[in-house]
Amino acid sequence: MSTRRVERRPAAAVTITVLFFAWLYLPIAAVVLFSFNSVKSLSTFEGFSTRWYSDFFHDSTLITSLSASLLIASVAAVASLVLGTMLALGLDRVRSRSGRAVGAVTLMPLVTPEIVTGVAALLFFTGLSMKLSLVTVMLAEITFSIAYVTVIVRGRLAAMDPQVEEAARDLGCTPFQALRKVTLPTLVPALLGAGLLVFALVFDDFVLAFFTTGVDPQPLPVRIYSSIRFGVSPAINAVGTLMLAFSALLIVAALLLPRLFHRRSSSLDLITGGERR
Amino acid sequence: MTTPQPAVTLRGLTKAFGPETVVDSVDLDIAPGEFFSLLGPSGCGKTTTLRMIAGFNDPTAGTIRVGGQDVTSTPAHKRDVNTVFQSYALFEHLDVRRNVGFGLRRKGIDRRTIDQRVGEALELVQLSDRAKDRPTQLSGGQRQRVALARALINRPQVLLLDEPLAALDLKLRRAMQLELQSIQREVGITFLFVTHDQDEALSMSDRIAIMNQGVIEQCGTPEHIYENPASVFAAGFIGTSNLMPGTFDNGAVQVCPELRVPLVGSNGLRPGDRVSVAIRPEKIWISELTPSMVQVPGTVVASSYHGATTQYLVDVAPGVTLTVLEQNLPRMSTGDRWTPGSRVQVGWLPEHTVLLT
Repeated sequence: MSTRRVERRPAAAVTITVLFFAWLYLPIAAVVLFSFNSVKSLSTFEGFSTRWYSDFFHDSTLITSLSASLLIASVAAVASLVLGTMLALGLDRVRSRSGRAVGAVTLMPLVTPEIVTGVAALLFFTGLSMKLSLVTVMLAEITFSIAYVTVIVRGRLAAMDPQVEEAARDLGCTPFQALRKVTLPTLVPALLGAGLLVFALVFDDFVLAFFTTGVDPQPLPVRIYSSIRFGVSPAINAVGTLMLAFSALLIVAALLLPRLFHRRSSSLDLITGGERR
Repeated sequence: MTTPQPAVTLRGLTKAFGPETVVDSVDLDIAPGEFFSLLGPSGCGKTTTLRMIAGFNDPTAGTIRVGGQDVTSTPAHKRDVNTVFQSYALFEHLDVRRNVGFGLRRKGIDRRTIDQRVGEALELVQLSDRAKDRPTQLSGGQRQRVALARALINRPQVLLLDEPLAALDLKLRRAMQLELQSIQREVGITFLFVTHDQDEALSMSDRIAIMNQGVIEQCGTPEHIYENPASVFAAGFIGTSNLMPGTFDNGAVQVCPELRVPLVGSNGLRPGDRVSVAIRPEKIWISELTPSMVQVPGTVVASSYHGATTQYLVDVAPGVTLTVLEQNLPRMSTGDRWTPGSRVQVGWLPEHTVLLT
């Protein structure tokens, strides 16, 4: 009888869930819909057209901004992955009190309001009289992203059996070879997940980019923001839809890539909480 | 030709973690081809001893020799020993075949030889059909065998096994015990087996060392240790024992005013020495006593039927209760069993009294 009761779905829960997702996704769906509008209205849909997409692809400043954002996100993902993984490995091996303190400090960027980080980065760069450019955006984004990588990789390391690395040494690996041949390959799903997460976060990050970017080229979110001030063009809807599609693609990649490596668990399980252990 | 070197020699091996001495000046010689068990309760230092031999922990003092060669300061990857870990510690990013071949690849052996030896090793542990599987696709028993094959394939001088069967259920554990024994005979490699399971140690080993609080209490064949425990701890840890503390006096041990246990020899004891005597439950008879036995009257306070045996608790003196294990022989009927309250005479042969000083 009690098993029966579990199967029955309470109507209230279903309703709330549907309303929640509607609230969450209907505005986004509207953006997608109006990106295909044939007229420049944001309230009435007249007919299907791809003119706003062609507008976007013919707007060289938007294209430049898109490539700038892609470049920033790639560099930030790779660099924070390398640095964050090194930090995670180090913290995992340090057992001292000071080591744990460093571990806690690492998490600071996750809880610091981004606007504070942004202002701080701006003051720092101008204090050093560095010219604001894509490089300063990258530096700020890398600094900010290391924490994400470290958290994800440390999570995976904590779940890892410490005897696995000993087994590698037992079978003839130097400590460095054990790291390269066993620990890092075991971390691949976590590394992929962390890399894609950082890429997605940085790609559409506005606040940090806004404070640290130079005049030209601007990262895409900053560029969109400035163009909205001169009136909203449906081309922005097209850009938004493309970014959405791209992000969705990244998530699918994060879910599928590990499967290509014959792994049962996906890197995104770390984020979605899909896997046990 | 020189005389064969012991596979493992430990001299004064000591490990301290901070103020706590976990392994305290252990001396041990393990012969080549021996199945040797380190047996003791958790925290007795047996695993730390094993880890020092493997090279994962540095000794605080003492030396480790493997095959006569001093390896005390040799890093783990250069020692000619391999380990089967309690958690198996398989490489989850590699399939079974590559897990097993890992050590040989590190040694730079050519691929054809590796493939051939991996095939042999998998055959030895009966996993030839799972070569392409990932460790996560295997059952606990199969993972255990992959771990064994992965270590054995390197033909080390000594194979170190750290409670490898602890995670298996009872039935599988029994099966793996037999399998381990036969594999060890087949390959002839010295096994150093760490366990807290006395049954496991007794049934598998050529010799056992009982460890307690960082020191080896006793070392010998399973039979010798069982029949002649050298300490109160050894007597209590291996099997069950009727342990009775008392005072030595005139060729006997006075357990209490009502109970006096005569000894065969007094080996240098002086009157008044505090000693203990131990008698195994199955060595005590409750019927068919013979005149040569030490005989004590008592009262049955409990009896429990275990199929092949019946266990009685017999009060023989105030505060002294003996556990008696009697075989249920074919000629006995249920009426032959004693019921609580029965007045009985229990007895044992004097040589079965073990004196513990």
